[in-house]
Amino acid sequence: MMKRFFIFLILAIVGYYIVDVVSQIPFGENRVNVGDYYLDKSPSELKVSNTVTAIVVNYRGFDTLGEVTVLFLAATGLASIMFRRKRKGEKDIRAKKASSRIIQIGSQILFPIIILLGAYVFIHGHLSPGGGFQGGVIIATASLLMLISYRKFKVNHSTISWIESIAGIVFVLLGVTGLILGKTFLENFLPTGELNNLLSGGIIGIIYVAVGFKVAAELTGLIDTLLLNNRPEANKEK
Amino acid sequence: MVISPVQYIAIPLIAAFLIPLFGKLNKELVRIIPGLVLLYLSYISVVLMNQVISQNTMIVEIIAGWRPPWGINLVFSPFSGFLASLFSMLGFIIWMYTYNFKREVEDAQTEKFYVLMMMLITGTIGIVLTGDIFNMFVFLEITAISAYSLTAFYRERDGAEAAFKYLLVGSFASFFILLAIVLLYSQVGTLNMADIAQKMPDVNPYMKGVILMLFFVGFGIEAEMFPLNGWAPDVYTQAPGPIGAIFAGMVVKAGIYGLVRVIFTLFDVHEIFPLLMIMGVITMAVSEVIALRQGKLKRMLAYSSIGQMGLVLVAFGIGTHEAVFAAIFLMFNHAVIKSLLFLSGTYLVYHSKEKNISDLDGIGKSLPFTSFLFALGSLAIVGLPPFAGFWSKLYILMAAADVRLIAVIAIILAVSVVEIVYYFRVLHRIYFRERISTIEIKIPSFNAKISMLILAIVIIVIGVYPDLISGLIERAATDLLDKQHYIQSVLSVGLH
Repeated sequence: MMKRFFIFLILAIVGYYIVDVVSQIPFGENRVNVGDYYLDKSPSELKVSNTVTAIVVNYRGFDTLGEVTVLFLAATGLASIMFRRKRKGEKDIRAKKASSRIIQIGSQILFPIIILLGAYVFIHGHLSPGGGFQGGVIIATASLLMLISYRKFKVNHSTISWIESIAGIVFVLLGVTGLILGKTFLENFLPTGELNNLLSGGIIGIIYVAVGFKVAAELTGLIDTLLLNNRPEANKEK
Repeated sequence: MVISPVQYIAIPLIAAFLIPLFGKLNKELVRIIPGLVLLYLSYISVVLMNQVISQNTMIVEIIAGWRPPWGINLVFSPFSGFLASLFSMLGFIIWMYTYNFKREVEDAQTEKFYVLMMMLITGTIGIVLTGDIFNMFVFLEITAISAYSLTAFYRERDGAEAAFKYLLVGSFASFFILLAIVLLYSQVGTLNMADIAQKMPDVNPYMKGVILMLFFVGFGIEAEMFPLNGWAPDVYTQAPGPIGAIFAGMVVKAGIYGLVRVIFTLFDVHEIFPLLMIMGVITMAVSEVIALRQGKLKRMLAYSSIGQMGLVLVAFGIGTHEAVFAAIFLMFNHAVIKSLLFLSGTYLVYHSKEKNISDLDGIGKSLPFTSFLFALGSLAIVGLPPFAGFWSKLYILMAAADVRLIAVIAIILAVSVVEIVYYFRVLHRIYFRERISTIEIKIPSFNAKISMLILAIVIIVIGVYPDLISGLIERAATDLLDKQHYIQSVLSVGLH
């Protein structure tokens, strides 16, 4: 009882201070020093019309490289933790019966369209809302759709790890190339082109395509790892 | 290509993405590549450290071509560079130890173990090198995610439970730190640490206090500060042995670095020092007393590790130049000595199911080399001469005496007695008992012996010639305390 009381007391104190402090932040007032600089430089110097992309991939590209790594590590870690051989007679969490014909045909039609949309989103990351992360997630949902509608649908883990690795290496190597050319890590070294063209923004577009491939492969792998452990085929060697 | 600090991050990342591909070619490459990477990082540490010390500067590297405060930058200063060098070299030694570790584990698992281990080390290096507060958070996440997965690496232990506990507490730490960063950004409008430090005087004191407390709690969790360290003993016990050494040697040190960087450079509020000292004293006293009652070897080492971190906090809390010097010296010593204890202790209880201290009865005869190194580590960590641990404890006591903190001195000495009691109890069992247990003995592999021997030699050499390293630490302490120099060096980069 005492313990509980203290827990609530501490939570109340922490909660009070957080709410109080957050409510003191003025709304609608521009207190961000770096923001104007970004808004000014992105179209003129980088030739990127989507400033958010410019911030994510260029000004703070190093953070994005870190975030991509976090995702990679999460997938690796999950695969390491979930790696196990199933005992005999364990229940399958996937549906016993195949999905209905309607769902199967429907997902067949939707699958290429979703992939196309995902690719569009990450290829146009520097022009329109969206980007590598969003596009990758859209593509991963396409594989999720196939995994739930077909019991036999298999994800090739070898291909996935190839895509993952190559996309990751492309990202880092683009950064290192800047270094080799006497500039700084992740600095743009390609011609920036013209604002609002598909081929603009130098390496920003290429990095976002790599991120898109990487996120798509990783999330597909993650979903499959979670399902694989409970699938009969995975335990055939026993 | 010129050697620059960004290679600390770029090279391990390329390697981490390549390892799955190389694993398809040759299984052995998976084990070798992390070693080569860490060896290269040790090499660039020597080069960069030399440059920093001889030219009396700090290396500030801008990334993506935007100079601070617009872009992210890495700062290789005497303090951060010292820690980065320590982490890469210690990382290499621990890699050497793991080279033949667990050959019976499946290949797919081995690959993941090495990728996660290398990224755990890279994450801690990133935390100390970055000059941007949000980038520090990203590296903290890299460290944390690898740490959670490695804790749960062994299925036959209760690793999953420990990892889940760590995940919950660690998420709280991340939440507090991120919230603090958000609030800080709303006040100063920049994420660059030097720029924040410069604009700090304009922030209203109430806001400052709350943000500092959020950072204090967040990094306090990572630095194993009482009462936020409930996760630590479980994690140390369940994680694989060498990973325990990495936690004690690097992950906790990176947490402490975050804490002191925020307190000394970003905020520079002296009102927090007594709090830091009091928390340190409580952490130290409580955990050493708990360590006395532990029956399991790794749990005992874990509590001892928390106690030492308490001592580091006390020293930073005193806040004088001598005290900061002593604190950094202790961070170095603890990283080396506790790694040796974890590495040798792992072999002492290798096949024991319960990992009890009572299983060690008479093991000194069956495993003479490992037991000897464990004994050496124990003597060093309690601070007996002529080992490295002696000097750091002495400097802390002297720094405390300078500012007349008699009570703190008394507590440190009392706690040292407790430390001696529980370490000597283990040594007594190792050397002066007859062996009765029938648990199989595991002889360390050759490379494991070499890596432990290197650590032992470092402990003795630093113990006899502390001047070898005290010059570097002196510079590191000066660097940490000289906030103006840090601000100037970072903000002036790329101007000319």
